[in-house]
Amino acid sequence: MEKIKFHVALIIGKLVAFTVNIISKDRGTNLSGRYAYKICKNFIKNFKKIDYDKVVFITGTNGKSTTNNMIINALKTAGKTVTTNIEGANLITGIATAMIKNSTITGKIKTEYMIFETDERYLKKIYEQLPAKNICITNLQKDQVQRNGEPDFIYQKIKEVINKDITVYVNNEEPRAKSFEDFAGKVVYYGIEKNDKSFEKNGFYDVTLPCPKCNNKIKFKYYNIDNVGKFKCTNCGFKSENNIEFFAKNINYEENTFECDHIKYTMNYTQPFFLYNYALCIAICKRFKIPEEKIQESFTTFKNIGGRLETIKYKDKEIKYIRIKQENPETLQSALDYVAQDKSNKILAIGLEELKDFKPYYTNTFYGFDCDYDELINSNIDKYICFSEAVAYDSANILVYAGVEKDKIEVLPTEEIEDVLNELDKYDTKNVYLITWLHAYEALERYMKKMQTTKS
Amino acid sequence: MLNVVWAYPDILNLHGDRGNLFAIERIAKLLGLETNVKKIENYKDKIDFKNTDIILFNVGEIKVMPNIIHALNSQERELKEYIEEGKFIILIGATGSIMAKETLRKDGTKFEGLGILDMQCIERENVYGNDLHFTLKENENLEIMANQIQLIDTKLNSDIALGKVIYGMGNNYEQTEGAKYKNVIFTNALGPVLVKNPWYTEKIIKTAMENKGEKVEESISKEQFEIEMKSMECIKKFIENKRKEE
Repeated sequence: MEKIKFHVALIIGKLVAFTVNIISKDRGTNLSGRYAYKICKNFIKNFKKIDYDKVVFITGTNGKSTTNNMIINALKTAGKTVTTNIEGANLITGIATAMIKNSTITGKIKTEYMIFETDERYLKKIYEQLPAKNICITNLQKDQVQRNGEPDFIYQKIKEVINKDITVYVNNEEPRAKSFEDFAGKVVYYGIEKNDKSFEKNGFYDVTLPCPKCNNKIKFKYYNIDNVGKFKCTNCGFKSENNIEFFAKNINYEENTFECDHIKYTMNYTQPFFLYNYALCIAICKRFKIPEEKIQESFTTFKNIGGRLETIKYKDKEIKYIRIKQENPETLQSALDYVAQDKSNKILAIGLEELKDFKPYYTNTFYGFDCDYDELINSNIDKYICFSEAVAYDSANILVYAGVEKDKIEVLPTEEIEDVLNELDKYDTKNVYLITWLHAYEALERYMKKMQTTKS
Repeated sequence: MLNVVWAYPDILNLHGDRGNLFAIERIAKLLGLETNVKKIENYKDKIDFKNTDIILFNVGEIKVMPNIIHALNSQERELKEYIEEGKFIILIGATGSIMAKETLRKDGTKFEGLGILDMQCIERENVYGNDLHFTLKENENLEIMANQIQLIDTKLNSDIALGKVIYGMGNNYEQTEGAKYKNVIFTNALGPVLVKNPWYTEKIIKTAMENKGEKVEESISKEQFEIEMKSMECIKKFIENKRKEE
């Protein structure tokens, strides 16, 4: 019965995929899978010709999509065939959709490799039906707290999956990810060397996290990115390993190069965050014996499709627009750090909003108190504009607490992009940075188009 | 001088609640007070109860609570004296479980708390997140606006609620929010709560000073809290719209 259901589900899934493809190639990343799961509850378990040694899951708070895309690009550059949920659908229905598209009518997978970005919360459900032998854990941070609560909530969900049959690829410099070393059959560590962009945080108000193994304080010797760097537990001795195979070293930001496992690589993206993705990508590629020259070639062609930075011309101003995806401190901190790199005079418009992920919607801005603002404040900001209907004042208060003078902050309790642009008109400063959630961008785009139409 | 202990800042570090400490320092300064903050970083470190007015335990992961309970048990006598003297302990979110009678975890295990607050904590299967608006039981005119990310529900065994819920979940949907015994205050309120509600922070600081015979005559002008008051109005409007949709 299960087999019949699977075949019916597969045919319907393929029909849905075919139809969606005619309507729009960019849509329907989950749709076929959703239909298939309505018919067959263990749908992906029934596919044939899968080499589980060549199935990789990438999970963790930050960096899943980027690393996933990087690995796929490398495998494809080497002429390998890959099934993937590259479109970013990381639940079981997204994976099912990808498998429907890459299988024969009888349910045989047509590709050699399967590389999937997997949502941390659904990893168990996915693993039960598709027991990958390789699981990459990028990092586990505070994130989307209305869903995830505390990092340990997610930690326990991943822990339920990791077993002695699995090779884990873990970030050597992120305590929670690294601690999964205790539960896997084989552990591959990756990391990056202290470099020109590494930093220390030893201030009175700087805080870290509890050790994932013994709950005592973790100390960082230095950080390569926020909350990731060489660490040691103050009690149990849990720490970053000293000698690891996949270690990006001799990082040269002027030449855009680094070395890993004795090979020099050139990189397109030079933020330290990407170096972790490169190191993990190399680790996976080496596992599958991808030639180094192919890995290198793939790095030069890699495009970060998830990039959320754009420059928009508005009257005589240039707006550098940073879109943030999630309400987590790392995402906001990266955006603030990006602004702070530019030391010329500028305006910063920041539109943190109430959270509308699912109901009840709510007004969380507390993650802002986990961020550091010193660099930002010292980067010559003439004016801060805080806007949003419900939390503009809370956003402004974060800046006040960070030490910004009140008269430098303008609060607009609105989400109308027109109001924000009108406010910008009042100032001579031409260099503008704008930070908002992803969806606000669409409103801005619509407004810009409307303006252009009116002009012409 | 206001003496504050910031308890386990690295271990209890979840929802930007270091802001609560910033708020205590800022409001104390506006009241003309100097603040002396001591960090207790490790479980083996002892708290100097005699020279402390407020101990701040921010929200942390449930898994660390047994370690903290164990550490505090080693100073049980001093802790109880401190509490009976009416000195302040502020506990945010799941950290309230350290003062509860017991906490039941969803895996079926449980751990005993210090039993200062007559309540039981029960870990939830799923997280609940929302806004939280309540008034204080001791002063119904004092409103608190906050958020709530609930991983444990709280069942009060006696009449020890800190506040009455206007909007949100509070302890367990039964209109009570938090708990209070003497000046041991447990609240589910995030925000950070002392940042968003400086009028409450002011009240806590003044009482803490008064407790040691140093009455603070000065009051902070409303203008100083303009941002926070406007924030509260915006969020009230937001909640009102939510209610209409519910």
